[in-house]
Formats: sequence, structure tokens, C-alpha cells
Amino acid sequence: MGKQTIRERIPAFASILGLLVLIAAYYIVGAIRDANVAYGLKAVVNQSVVVALVATGAVFIYTLGSFDISLGAATGVSALLGAMAYNATGSLAVMFLVCVGVAVAIGFINSSLASVFNLPIFVTTVAMMSVLSAFMLILIGWNGAGDTIKVKARDVRPLDNIPFKVAILAAYIALCWFVFTLLPTGREAKFIGGNPVCARLSGINEKKLAVIASLISAVGIGLGAFLTIVYAPTLNKDTASSIGMDVIIAIVFGGMPVSGGPRSRILSAVVGAFSMGFLSQIMSMLNLGSGYGQMIKAAIFLLVVFIALGSQRGKLLTR
Amino acid sequence: MKKRPLLKKLLLSLLIPCAVLLVLEAIALGKGVRLFANADSWKLFFRAVANVTLTTFALSINLDSGRFDFSLGAVSMLSATVAGTLAQQWGIGPWPTLAIAVAVAALLGLIHGGVYVLTRIPPIIVSLGMALFYEGCAFAFTGGKGVSLVTRTDIIGFSTIGNYILVTAVAVALIVLLFDFTRFGANYRALVSGQKIAVETGIHEVGNALGCYAVSGALMGVVGFISLANTGSQQMALNFGSIGIMFTAFLPMFIGGWIGRYINKRVGIMLGAVSMALISLAFARFDTASSVQSIVSALLLVLFLIYLNNEFAILSKFRGKKEAES
Repeated sequence: MGKQTIRERIPAFASILGLLVLIAAYYIVGAIRDANVAYGLKAVVNQSVVVALVATGAVFIYTLGSFDISLGAATGVSALLGAMAYNATGSLAVMFLVCVGVAVAIGFINSSLASVFNLPIFVTTVAMMSVLSAFMLILIGWNGAGDTIKVKARDVRPLDNIPFKVAILAAYIALCWFVFTLLPTGREAKFIGGNPVCARLSGINEKKLAVIASLISAVGIGLGAFLTIVYAPTLNKDTASSIGMDVIIAIVFGGMPVSGGPRSRILSAVVGAFSMGFLSQIMSMLNLGSGYGQMIKAAIFLLVVFIALGSQRGKLLTR
Repeated sequence: MKKRPLLKKLLLSLLIPCAVLLVLEAIALGKGVRLFANADSWKLFFRAVANVTLTTFALSINLDSGRFDFSLGAVSMLSATVAGTLAQQWGIGPWPTLAIAVAVAALLGLIHGGVYVLTRIPPIIVSLGMALFYEGCAFAFTGGKGVSLVTRTDIIGFSTIGNYILVTAVAVALIVLLFDFTRFGANYRALVSGQKIAVETGIHEVGNALGCYAVSGALMGVVGFISLANTGSQQMALNFGSIGIMFTAFLPMFIGGWIGRYINKRVGIMLGAVSMALISLAFARFDTASSVQSIVSALLLVLFLIYLNNEFAILSKFRGKKEAES
């Protein structure tokens, strides 16, 4: 194989370059606008860490060439039940276990339904999203305290700090990286995403891997739900509602192909989540209205994906 | 190939909508409610048929070609916003406003298609970007306030059963004509069934894809206008708040696919939409909570998919049992 030219190498690093450019832009805009950069940085971490956790786990699902749109609703339900468990017991450990346990149960139902009945996973997750969103309304109704479920802010304040959140994210990334890179699970998942027929003929159990991927992803959802309560202890029907779509954007922004396969990387999710966080903060510092801010965000998103695609464009239109 | 007689095909095509109607009527009878009790029930039913049919067409045109589109709701919202604002400023009536909504939506669809064919980014990713972009455009266009036409009785007066039937009939006729009786439609079907071979035989894929996006957009323009005329306002949505509309189209699309085995697929989709509209009407007549509606709709979708994806196994079991009994 010949040496790659710089032009050929750019797409592989486009997402990381994009993040570095955004960090630089953040500091430049902060200096020009005389903004409180340190405070903004805290906001970036707080916003990005939950998306990064859920997206890191979701990499396993996307690597298989699957797609899960119910991640946000699953995070919301886990957070609501976690908060209710805390209010019933007063124990943060119970809250943590309920968040992770509920997320794992949802992941198991999702993947089993798709595996046992041969359902297309995307449509299954669309249905699951509707059920979980409706379940959130029912839970809030059951709780009988208006439109919200609250945990006392002072009870979770000791955990609402950056080192704790970053430590949880780092530990989860390390776990996912280990499974994805050093165990056969990751290689098999990439094989299925790249060439499902060949993988099947080689004896790889696709259904088993789909369940494993959902369970690993569910742990990320549970951790995300726990940190959601820690950051914003007043939960409502919209809690975590945008996470499902943010995760897709983060993964693609981070340079991973949405079709999965061998080019999938664990770090894509983190790079993408923090890129989005910095981008939102820059828009906020520039005082761009919500509409214009979102338009610019969309344009940058498409540009980064376009550069990341590099020379992979074929003669036929991509499907 | 075994050919089914026409009557049998017709009966099988009407099986799902009739079964849905019978089940719902039975439930209504048990609850002491009439499904079609008054003019409002009919209006609700035909509005649901129009909205679901057009949204399902808009989704399936591109989805059949492997192009998933998250931006349908955003196109509907932005086109209704532009048309509503112009209707307010220029004082134009409902039909010109509808024409503007359709034209703007077709243009938005074309732009979406243009970005897709120029960048060659996977369609699902482009649609995410375009959904965000169009939501942002609509928000910026109105300063986040949305559009209110509550004083425009002529536009609100568009919401009649006759207009819903007219709009749906014209849309279905045009779609059947375009996709079943023109060269564009023949090329579309060739590209759906074999992209590589179709392109190698000289079919212009880019033009066909652009056309599909424009048609899909135009249909969402009609949906946007129907919603605008019905409520008299257009609310804004950001951060993918507009994508919900798309989810109503999944069940009718799969039902349409099943019915499409026996008659024209487009007519099948319409019959699927009729089934969905009956369910929506029943929810309204039974005063069903929105959370229960979501759960029931999702369960129906999952159950139907379980049947579709395991049809052979289920039918084999059923036939085996019958043969054993005989």
C-alpha cells in the first residue's frame, strides 16, 4: 500500500481537528467578548458529559449497523425512576442502582424484542420511544406532585462537581474501550457492521452481539440518567428528551460512519459530544438567537461530516 | 405464478381497514359510544386520513429508495410558516396560501435533495442537518413567535370535509400518475429495485432523487397548510422538536406494504392511513389519554411488524395444523 497524502489523511482527523478548532474558537470568542471562560467551560462539561456517556455506549449499537432512537426516552425513564427511588429510600446508592438497573432492563427488552421476533431495530426503537415517553407521563402522574419529580438539590450537590462527572465518564470510556478494542466482541461487532452476510457465514452470532451491545449501551444510559439527576434534580416530561438525537449527531460529528463497521471508534462519541458542547457555548457567547444559532450548528455539522467523508464518495448516490 | 382473482384481491385489500372498523365499532358499542356520532367526528376522521396519507407518501417515496428523512416535520413547519406569514401580509385566501405552502415545501425538498446529491453524505445524516437547519430558519423567520391566523376566518374555513377529500384525492391521483404511469416513475422503480444496474443502463439517478425530494416536500407543504388552517396557528420547534410527525407514518406504511401485494401500493398506503385515522378517531371518541394512545399505537406497530417479519413461520404453523386436522 502506498503512502497516504496529507489530503487523504485529513478526513481521518477531521473530527479531532474540528474539536480543536472549536476549542480555539471558544477561547478567542471568549477573549473578544470578555466572557467568563472558566464558567463557560464548566457549562460545556455539564452539557456534554451526559451526551458523551450515552453516545459512548451507543457506539456499540451503531457499530453493528443498527440505530437506536429511544436512547433519550430510556435516559428519561431511568432518571425518573431513579429519582422516585431516592425519594422513597433517601439513598444515593439505591438511586444509582435503579438508574442503571432500569436502563439495563429497557435495553434488554429492546434487543430481545428485535432478536427474538426478527424486527428491524430502528422501528422497534421508534415504538419503544413512544412507549417510554408515554411511560414518563404516567410516572409523573403517579408521583402526584404536579408536572415534575424532584430530588432535593442539597442532597445531590456533593456529587455535582466536574471531577466526579469526568471520573465517571473516564471510567466508562475505559470499560468500553477495553471491550471494544481488546475483546472479540468489538471485532465481531465491526465485522457485522462491515459485512453482515460474511460475518454470519463465519459463525458470528448476530443476535447475541445485539443483546450485548444493548446492555453495554444501557449502562451508559443509566450513568447518564444518574448524572442528569445530579445536574438538574427537578425532572419533567422533557427530561433528556433531546439526547436521542444529540447522540446521533455526536457520533457522526465525532467521525464515525452511521452505517457502523470497521471504521467505528469509541472516542468518536466523546469528540462529537464535546464538539457540540463547545459549539453551543460559542453560539451563546456570540448572542446568536436560537434560530440563527441552530442554523449555523446545522451547517457546521454538515461541513464536518462532508470533510470527514473524504474520498469515500462513489459513483452511485449513498443510501 | 399463481394469479389471484380480482374479487379475492379486493377483499384482501380491504381486510385490514374493515377489521379495524369492526373491532373499534365493537369496542364503541361496549362503551356506549358511536364512532361517527356527528359532523365533527367525520371531520376529524377525514383530516386524519389526509394528514396520515400525505405524510406516509412523503416518507415512503424516499424510504423505499433507502433514504430516511428526518426533515419532513421541519419542511411542513417552515412551509406553513412562510405561507401563513405571506397570507397575513398580503391578505390572500386559502387556495393561494396552499399553493405557496406547496411551492415553498417543494423548494425546501429540492434544496435538501441538492445538498444530498452534491455532498454525497448518507441521506439520514443530511436529513438530520436539514431538519436542524429548517427548524432554525422557521424560528429565525418569526423570531420564535410562530404564526397566528386566528382572525383569518377564510383560511380557518378551509377545514371542511369536502376540502380534505379533495386534497387527498388529488394528491393520491397525482402520486399514482407520477409513480405508476410516467417515465420518472418507471426510473424510480428501477432505481428502487436495482440501483447499480439502473444507473448502468443510463437512468439519471441524481435527477430522479431530486424529483423525489421535491415531491416529498410538496406533500409536506399540504400537511403543513392543513395543520395551519385547522389550528389557525403554527408553533415553532427547535432541537428536533419537529420530527414527531414522521412517526405517525410508520404503521400505515407497513400496512400499505402488506396491502400493496394485492393492489396498487399507493392505494394500499391510503387504506393503511384510513385504518390509522379510524384508530385516531376512536382515541378521540373514547377520551383516551395521550400516554395511552402512544402506548397502544406503538404496540400495534410492534405486533404488526412481528406478524410481517414472521409471516412465513406463522402461516406455516397455521397451515400445518390445518393439514394435520384434515
